Amino acid sequence: MPEEAITTKDLTKTFGHFPAVDGLNVGVGKGELFGLLGPNGAGKTTTVRMLCTLIEPTRGTANVVGYDIREQAAEVRRQIGVVSEGVSLYKDLTIEENLKLLSTLYEIPRPKAEVRIRELMDMFAFREKASRLIGALSSGWAKKAMICAALLHSPQVLFLDEVTSGLDPQSAIALQDFTKKQCDQGVTVIWTTHYMGEPEKICDRVGIMFAGRLVQVGTPNELKHSVSELSMVEVETPDLSKTQLDKVKLKLKTMKHVCRVTYLDSKLQVSCERTETLAEEVAAALLDVGARIRTINTKDPTLEEAFIALTGGEEEIDRFLESAGQKA
Amino acid sequence: MSVVAFLNDSIAVAENEYRQFRRNRSAILISLVVLPLFFTVSLGAGQGGAGTTFSPTANIPMGFVDNDNSLASLRLWQTLASSPDFHNLIQSYDEQAAIAELGTKRIYAVIVVPKGFQNDLESGNQAKLILYTDDSEPGVSDQIQSTLTSYVQSYDPNVEVQPHLSQLQRQSVAGVGILTKGAVFAGFNIGLTTVLAIVQIFAGFYEIAGGISREREEGTFARLLVSPISIGSIVLGKTIFDVLLTVIRTFTVLGIAFYGYGARPNTNLLTLLALSLIIALVTMGIGFVAASLKLGQRAVVIVEFFLILFLFAFSGLIIDINLLVGISQVVGNLLPFTYAFDALKRTILLGRPLLSLTFDLEYLIGSILVSYTVALVLLHIFRERLIT
Repeated sequence: MPEEAITTKDLTKTFGHFPAVDGLNVGVGKGELFGLLGPNGAGKTTTVRMLCTLIEPTRGTANVVGYDIREQAAEVRRQIGVVSEGVSLYKDLTIEENLKLLSTLYEIPRPKAEVRIRELMDMFAFREKASRLIGALSSGWAKKAMICAALLHSPQVLFLDEVTSGLDPQSAIALQDFTKKQCDQGVTVIWTTHYMGEPEKICDRVGIMFAGRLVQVGTPNELKHSVSELSMVEVETPDLSKTQLDKVKLKLKTMKHVCRVTYLDSKLQVSCERTETLAEEVAAALLDVGARIRTINTKDPTLEEAFIALTGGEEEIDRFLESAGQKA
Repeated sequence: MSVVAFLNDSIAVAENEYRQFRRNRSAILISLVVLPLFFTVSLGAGQGGAGTTFSPTANIPMGFVDNDNSLASLRLWQTLASSPDFHNLIQSYDEQAAIAELGTKRIYAVIVVPKGFQNDLESGNQAKLILYTDDSEPGVSDQIQSTLTSYVQSYDPNVEVQPHLSQLQRQSVAGVGILTKGAVFAGFNIGLTTVLAIVQIFAGFYEIAGGISREREEGTFARLLVSPISIGSIVLGKTIFDVLLTVIRTFTVLGIAFYGYGARPNTNLLTLLALSLIIALVTMGIGFVAASLKLGQRAVVIVEFFLILFLFAFSGLIIDINLLVGISQVVGNLLPFTYAFDALKRTILLGRPLLSLTFDLEYLIGSILVSYTVALVLLHIFRERLIT
C-alpha cells in the first residue's frame, strides 16, 4: 500500500444511543480513489463529516494527511476539499464571487487566486456562465461549481459525498473521469455513494458500510469474489421442450460444480462454482438435445450481490432501512 | 491563526454579506426602507410633530383664560386660534372653573395669560404663560406643551411657557414621569426615543439570527465551517456588515424624524448614532446566541416577537421602570434594553451628554461583551448542530 493519506482509529459517532458510525478502522492511500458504499443511513456521510471536521467523533480519531482531526482541525480543513449534501455555495453570488470569498478564507494570494479561478472556470467550461448566480444554475452546473470550490485551494484529499446524485448520466460519467484524473495527480478521493455501479467502475478500493460499521474493504473484484465463488451462464434458447429441458438438466447436474439450473422465458440459467469451461459445457449439453441457441452470456457476481451478501441479505437490509427511517 | 488572517476573513465575510444583500431586493426594502419608515411614520402619525402639516393637537379641546385683557393677549389668542394646531381652543373667563374641567375629558389643557403679560413684554422682561395639562393621557400633555412652546416663541421670543403641575398630574401614574420632572420636549422627541430603539432591535436580531438560520438551512454555513475560517471571524464579519446597515437605518430614521415630524433632540448626531450602534450590538449579540441554538426561521420570528414584547413591557418604553412592581421590575432591571431606552431618554429629551451616563453605558457595553462571549462559546459548543 502507498503512503496513507487517511487513517482512522476506532472512529465512532453516536447520536444519543444510535451509533451512526461504530469503530471505523481504515487506511486510505495517497492518490487512491476510495469508495464508501452503503445504503442511506449506513454512516457514510457521518464518516465524511467527521473526517472533514464538521462533526467531532464520540470516540476514536482519524489522521488526514498527517493532521489529527480532533487536535488539528484547522490544518485538516486547509488540506481537504468537500462536495457534500448540506455543504453549499451562496445562491445569490456568482461562481466567481463564491470562489473569491473562498480564496480569501484559504489565504490564497490574490494574483494566484485569480489564475486558479480562471483555470478552474476554463476546466469546467464556466466562462459563459461566469455572471450567472449559483441559484440560477441547473443542478449539474451547481454541482460542478461546488467541485470548483472544493478544488480551488488544490486540496490533497477530496471528499465527494453522493456527488452524482441528481446528475444526468453524461455529467456523472464526466465527473467520474475527472475524479480518476485527480487521483492520477496524487489527490486522494473519498467517494461515497449508494449507487452500486459507481465504485465498481472507478474505485481502486471500496469499503462497504452497513449500520455504522465497515463490513469489508477491498478492490471491487476482491469484494465480489469474497462472497461468491459462483459463476452464471445465461443461454437464450427458444422453444425448448420439457423433454429437452429434462435431458439438459440431467446432464448438467451430473457435473459436480453445477449448483442450479432454471428455465424461464426462453432463458436457461445455470449457476456453478467458478469454472472457465462452464459456457462450453452448457452449450454442448444444449446442442446434444437438439436445442437452438440464440445468445449465450456469462455473468460474474456484481458488487450489488456482494453488498447484499456481506450485509446479511436483502431482509437484513430492509430491516435496517426501516429502522434507519424510523430514527430519521 | 494570525490577527491579519482573522481580520481578512472577517472582512471577506462582511463583503460576502454585502454582495448577497445588494442582490436581495426584499432584504434591502425591508431592512433599510420598510422597517425605519414603518415605525417612524407610525409613531410620527400617532404622536405628530411641530413640523408636520398634520397636528395631533389640532382637535384637542383646550381652555384659554385671558387674565390680562390686553392687546398683546388678544393677539396671542388670535395667533393660536388661527393656527392649524389649536382648532379647538375654548375661551374661558374663570381660571379656576377651567382648571376644574381638567380630568373630565372635556378639555385637556388650560392656557392662562396672567396679569401683566403685556407690561412684561413692553418692558422687555420675560412674559409668562401658564399651562395646566391633564397628564392622565400619556403623551397628550407633552404634545400640547411642545406645540404651544414653539408657537409662543415664534409669536415673541420673550414669552415663556411655564408648565404648571396640577394636583391631577401629581396623582396620575403611567407616563407622567417625564413631565413631572419639569422637562419641555419639542416635536417628535419622545417618538424618536422609541423608534430608534425598536428599529435597531427589530432589524438587528432578525438580520443575525435569521441570517445564520437561513445559511444553516441552505448549507452555506457548513461551507464556511469546512474552510479554515474561525467562528470568531464569521461573527465579526457579520457584525461589521450589520453595523453598516445600522448606520444607514439610523440616518433614515433620523431623516424622517427631523424633516417629517420636526424632531429636535437635545443631543448631537454622534450621540444618536453611538446609542443606535450600542443598541444594535446588544441585539446582534443576542441574535448570535439565538443562532447558536439552531433556531429555524420561524422560531427566529417568534423569539423576535417576544423580544419586542419585553421591550414594550419591561424596558420603560410604556411604563417607567420605577413604576413596575415585583418580578416585572426585576426583569426590567436585568434587561439591557431598559438602560438603552433610559440613555435615549436622557440624551434626546434631557440633553445629558452620553458619557455622563456611566451606569447605562457600563451596563450596555457589559451586555454586548457578555452576549458576544456567550454566543462564541455556544457557537463552538453547538458547532455540530449548525450543520444541516
